[in-house]
Amino acid sequence: MTGEPVTLRVNGAERPVAAVAPWTTLLTVLRDEFGLTGAKRGCNQGVCGACTVTIDGEPVRSCLSLALNCADRDIVTVEGLVPAGAPAGALAPVQQALAEGNAVQCGFCTPGILISAHALLRRNAPLTVDEVRAGLSGNLCRCSGYKKIVEAVARASEARP
Amino acid sequence: MTPLDTSATGVGASLPRLDAREKVTGRAQYIADMVRPGMLHAAVHASPHAHARILGYDTAEAQAVPGVACVLTGDDFPDGRMGAFIKDEPAIAKGKVRYPGEPVAVVAAEDEETARRAAALIRVDYEDLPVAATPEEAVAPDAPLIHEGLADYFKVFPAICGGNVASETELSEGDVDAAWADCDVIVEGDFETPAQAHLSIEPVGALAEVDAEGRVTLWSANQSVFRVQANVCEALQLPMSKLRCLTPKVGAGFGNKMEPHVQPLVVQLALRTGRPVKLILNRTEDFETVRARHPFKIRCKTGAKKDGTLVARELTAVLDCGAYGDDSPGVLGYSLLMSRGPYRIPHCRASGKLVYTNRMRFGAFRGFGNPQVTFATESQIDEIAGRLGMDPLDLRLKNRMQPGDRWFGGGDVASNGLAECIEKAREASDWARGRALPAPPGKRRALGVAACAHISGLLATGAIVRLLEDGSVVLNTGAVDIGQGSDTVLTQMCASALKVPADRVATASPDTDGSPYNWGTTASRVTYTTGRSVVAAADKVAEQIKRHASEIFECAVEDLELRDGGRVGIKGVPDKELSFFEVSGRAHWAAGGPIVGTDTWVYNQPSVDPKRAIARGLPFPQIGVYSFGCMIAAVEIDETTGKADVVEVWSAMDVGKAINPGSVEGQIEGGFVQGMGFALTEEMVFDGPRLANPSMMDYKAPTSLDAPFDIHSIIVEAAEPGGPFGAKGIGEIGLVPVPAAIANAVAAAIGTRLRRLPLTPERVLDGMLEGGDED
Amino acid sequence: MEFVRPDSIEAAVAALQADGAACLAGGATLVAMMNADLVAPDRLVSLRDVAALRDAIRRPDGTVVIGAMRRHRETAEETDLRDGQRVLSEAAAQIANPPVRNMGTIGGSCAFADPAADYPPALLAADARFALIGAVGRRTVPAGDFFLDWYETALEPGELIEAVILPPAPAGTVGSYTKLARVAGDFAIASVALVLGMDGGACTHLAVAVGACGPAPVRRRDVEAELIGGGLGDAEIRRLTDALAEAFDPVDDVRASADYRRRVAPRMVRQALVEAQQRLSETL
Repeated sequence: MTGEPVTLRVNGAERPVAAVAPWTTLLTVLRDEFGLTGAKRGCNQGVCGACTVTIDGEPVRSCLSLALNCADRDIVTVEGLVPAGAPAGALAPVQQALAEGNAVQCGFCTPGILISAHALLRRNAPLTVDEVRAGLSGNLCRCSGYKKIVEAVARASEARP
Repeated sequence: MTPLDTSATGVGASLPRLDAREKVTGRAQYIADMVRPGMLHAAVHASPHAHARILGYDTAEAQAVPGVACVLTGDDFPDGRMGAFIKDEPAIAKGKVRYPGEPVAVVAAEDEETARRAAALIRVDYEDLPVAATPEEAVAPDAPLIHEGLADYFKVFPAICGGNVASETELSEGDVDAAWADCDVIVEGDFETPAQAHLSIEPVGALAEVDAEGRVTLWSANQSVFRVQANVCEALQLPMSKLRCLTPKVGAGFGNKMEPHVQPLVVQLALRTGRPVKLILNRTEDFETVRARHPFKIRCKTGAKKDGTLVARELTAVLDCGAYGDDSPGVLGYSLLMSRGPYRIPHCRASGKLVYTNRMRFGAFRGFGNPQVTFATESQIDEIAGRLGMDPLDLRLKNRMQPGDRWFGGGDVASNGLAECIEKAREASDWARGRALPAPPGKRRALGVAACAHISGLLATGAIVRLLEDGSVVLNTGAVDIGQGSDTVLTQMCASALKVPADRVATASPDTDGSPYNWGTTASRVTYTTGRSVVAAADKVAEQIKRHASEIFECAVEDLELRDGGRVGIKGVPDKELSFFEVSGRAHWAAGGPIVGTDTWVYNQPSVDPKRAIARGLPFPQIGVYSFGCMIAAVEIDETTGKADVVEVWSAMDVGKAINPGSVEGQIEGGFVQGMGFALTEEMVFDGPRLANPSMMDYKAPTSLDAPFDIHSIIVEAAEPGGPFGAKGIGEIGLVPVPAAIANAVAAAIGTRLRRLPLTPERVLDGMLEGGDED
Repeated sequence: MEFVRPDSIEAAVAALQADGAACLAGGATLVAMMNADLVAPDRLVSLRDVAALRDAIRRPDGTVVIGAMRRHRETAEETDLRDGQRVLSEAAAQIANPPVRNMGTIGGSCAFADPAADYPPALLAADARFALIGAVGRRTVPAGDFFLDWYETALEPGELIEAVILPPAPAGTVGSYTKLARVAGDFAIASVALVLGMDGGACTHLAVAVGACGPAPVRRRDVEAELIGGGLGDAEIRRLTDALAEAFDPVDDVRASADYRRRVAPRMVRQALVEAQQRLSETL
């Protein structure tokens, strides 16, 4: 890969890359350089939402984020939803809610949904169904019809301490 | 480890997916996530032409790009042809191209960017041929011939074909022509449905690796490892023993991943380079080249007596096949078989034509032609109800197939929960009150209903159940879980049949080397057909367990029973029992062991009874068992713009037995929203032969804000004799009635019958302004 | 391709003077186009670190200056936008979806100038001006002179948007943005942005701009001026919608036909004006 070196902070860890081309997206670096394949490439146009990660706490499209523009930012992927130090196999509450709520079918959109949901859950008190629907409207799912996903996220928001 | 709630695991429990943890942690591996040592990346050079002769290739510039390992054109591929019904499709264009986007050459390089750059440098010399972009153009007298070799192609059924007509099918019962005279009311109309994109969020891809002996292992996004194996071997003229097909997780298949896409291309590249080769299509390539739901043009006529008794139906359909046959003859035949709907209509004739065009191939898509014909036929049931001043639900109940009635063509129908579906949907939606509810200001509101049926069945399947030395179980079926949850459901069945908890059953990933044949995850068939084999194989394991136990206890096999928790004991003697561990341990040393149960079968109930019906060119002699359903949709229409929104829906579906009710609801809800997209917003727009909106920017599926949250799944269980635990399929039927139910609600709201999908704001507004001519 | 990340406006302008240089704002459009091989700038000038472009300031007179790098989500939640200025926050809240609103910027969106985008009609209705800066200095351009044609703006080569300036909206005016789209978050089939003030049945302020019905948003100031001071009943609204429709120049595309746009946009204007009057009467 041609380009310049960059260090990205992903899931709390500083991760250097020797050379990143200007046009290389964060999604490509996450998947091809770091082996973090949780974020998916569904459309590469920012529409489907399967590549969603948080940057500085906000969900964004990693396929529309150039890697060189992401230096000095905090990036969290689905692999980082469980806090460091948690026991092996631990799940974040939103992961557990989707898994138990039959809200996961093919799973390809799931990492992006989880990131959007995770950001929603950090914001405020119990979420209404319509708040969850609006909050997930940038993540397409072709399997579920959304209902069980919305239910699971709303339920997770109620269960919070 | 955070435990998931798996307290109930057997049949009837909403057990979380076996792979839920893998998927929510982001660890599930899909084809694009796979990496093999020394792997090359491939890219396709696609045809810019719809129909052109290939005069020659110049690949020198592409070959010279540093990092390029291999460039292949049609000249580098064998002459084999593949196709589910008509063997008409080469692995890559040879001699001529037949649609825009058709692969013409492929490149393998050290990385994807290099491969794509090199693919763009390939030069191909073409001689343009006249183009037939639509079925109308393709059947015109001076139309260019798309498949000159059609007559000589191998076909798996007695196809009636010629010119650009790939297949003609006709099915009839009774005397339709005479029956119109007995009708007091006749409705007639032309219906049109567009191409719909499957839009799996995962684009297709494949990875092939060749060993030192020249044997290839192929992973791909697929719905059947066995169809992948057959297609690749036919196209590349390889012995099937030289190709092993496996599957990673599949990011959903709605028919798009059943038949081939890029698998033959990577296999040939791997064979030529000796290195692993991966090819993942980008979204635009996936849109333009994989396949889509057939555009239908339907002429439909239905007649009834004054009292609402349906008398006659005639339906003719013209399907755009696209450039290659794929699953299309099956879609045509199946759609005609569904054209009478779940009703008693004594005189019925359905016929159709499948026409090759210079567009991308069309193929299987959830519903397999049934949503299209159901849109027409269920619209007409409502039109008749309107003409006769009858309640649309009452008219459907009056004419519904009764227990013991046969399907159109004469096929046996052993279980029929339609009446319960209609009654439950009526009750849950509070139909009478709901129809009269006032609309919010600025809106019109109405309920619409549609009933339907769909099959689960078809072709071959099998299962192998093995008892390991410690008494735990391995299930191997070869059925690909495409995300709908079949691994979980089959595991639950196996666990229940052997009375062990589901976590004692390991379910093997499909492997053409080790799994029994499975035609595929399609036709709503896995729960029913594969489930049957799982139960039969598990029963054989149970018999062997009892035989070993009878030798240990020195008792008769008939005196033994399986007990919960993986135990076998003597009936009526609670403390006389053995664990599977003790039995299987012995069986690994004793004659008659180890314990393995296998079952294979082919669905075998005939769909046509020649004494009742005349069938010509029908590709399925045996089709399947029938599920039934009824859906009521509440629709609101904005009076300013004509935009229609579904605000609530009640979907009552007869699944025989819900093995995993949570998964059944998931199929109903997901099927509804995909059908709602088809009804309201989704349309692949063609500019002549070329797709004008091959991106997710321009092609729009519903988001979480467009889908109603209030989707009420109502599970009806009319047990299917012979079905595993009484179960039948649910994969497709939830989508089938959606366009009709929504169209019926729209017609009730605006007073005009719309016969063309999607029901865009433009069409609805036009209908509303025209108004009042609903009859 | 070269990537630079200046940390001041002056440095950004200097970096933009090279041939083939392009501004990278939020990336929501530019990177999507790069991914599709539709553009390949020789130099990407990332504005990420130009802190001055990220602020929104409300001046004492009620003027709001929104930095070009202000993201859609921030504009949607901007409490400094008041009265009729809310037309802009309503528009921002309807752009795409939450992750894209966390990325996309007002400068980036306006510079791309998709005629079906949400900001152009909102800014036109709000009487906004663009503050531009280039090698030769600063200038301001009214929104009506900024959006010129399909994907074409008044930006000169080497020039960038520094801010969008919204004049104060008269107290008591209401701003609204209505969009018709195939699905949530899609670009508009047609959209209506308006700012309305009424006093005892008489129209005191009227600005109506229609999006996605031509190469640039459409507004008829001449007819608006004639309607000021009078009532805003069916006949008056009809005068305005007829005049707007005369100025439409829509096209057929995958979202809708030109013919439908011609027919639906006047209906949307009428409905939006009726609803805005209701909102005004409810707040009295």
